[in-house]
Amino acid sequence: MRPELERLRLIEQQLLNSSTALPAEDWQLRLLLDGELAADTAAQQQLYQGLRLAGRRQLRRELADIHARLYELPASPWARLWQRMKPW
Amino acid sequence: MVTSPEFLSAATLRAALLADREQALTRLYRQAFPLVRRHVCGHGGTAEDAQDVFHDALVILYEQAVGGQLTLIASASTYLLGIGRNLWRHEQRRRARLPQDALPDDPSALEAEAAPETDETRFAVLDYVEQLGARCKNILLAFYYFQQPLTQIAADHDYRSVRSATVQKFKCLERLRNSVRRAFRSETIDY
Repeated sequence: MRPELERLRLIEQQLLNSSTALPAEDWQLRLLLDGELAADTAAQQQLYQGLRLAGRRQLRRELADIHARLYELPASPWARLWQRMKPW
Repeated sequence: MVTSPEFLSAATLRAALLADREQALTRLYRQAFPLVRRHVCGHGGTAEDAQDVFHDALVILYEQAVGGQLTLIASASTYLLGIGRNLWRHEQRRRARLPQDALPDDPSALEAEAAPETDETRFAVLDYVEQLGARCKNILLAFYYFQQPLTQIAADHDYRSVRSATVQKFKCLERLRNSVRRAFRSETIDY
């Protein structure tokens, strides 16, 4: 992967506490040596929080579709025809 | 009519949600929504209130189940009814305090209004996710929210390997980050 993508992966491993995350002391050392790492990590954390909100919104849409499928009667052919004629 | 069996363990429920979300959620909906609707409508709410409460309860259940934080000591329907009861009680108290306020159609609008300034980026991300192409949006949400394994994401999106799907996921994340960065940089210049 490109170095930019590797950096995203490195930060992700720390933020999501993956099994490949660096030990805490190594991460602290990286933060000291890399002046932009703390800001990039905070920004990436915000992305994950935003994705969580977007995921919830998507899940609610899916639930609304399920509700409509289970509980809302499909429109009768006459109702559908009426909808098409309605503009005049 | 044959009724589908209940989800009795958190592990079974998690596996079902990850394997086929739509089917598992539809089963939960059929089993539990009538119970929640009866409770809400029997305690001063409307059918629309019941739907809102039930969707909130399912979101909570989904996140706990796929996050591995769910312990079921009864069926998933009973658990959903319990969450629904609590949410409806909470909502009734809120309405008693603020009788003029109606809930917005999109609950995230309410969250955005109440959000302190530090949360601005989070809500901006929400808009930029919507602007990503469908493929990137689906991959990011599948991995980071719906917690689907990369093997499944690779198969669903026709990638030849998990590695290709992983690279694509990071490319999409980079696109999202760059959009948010650009927007915030131009805002800083504008004001």
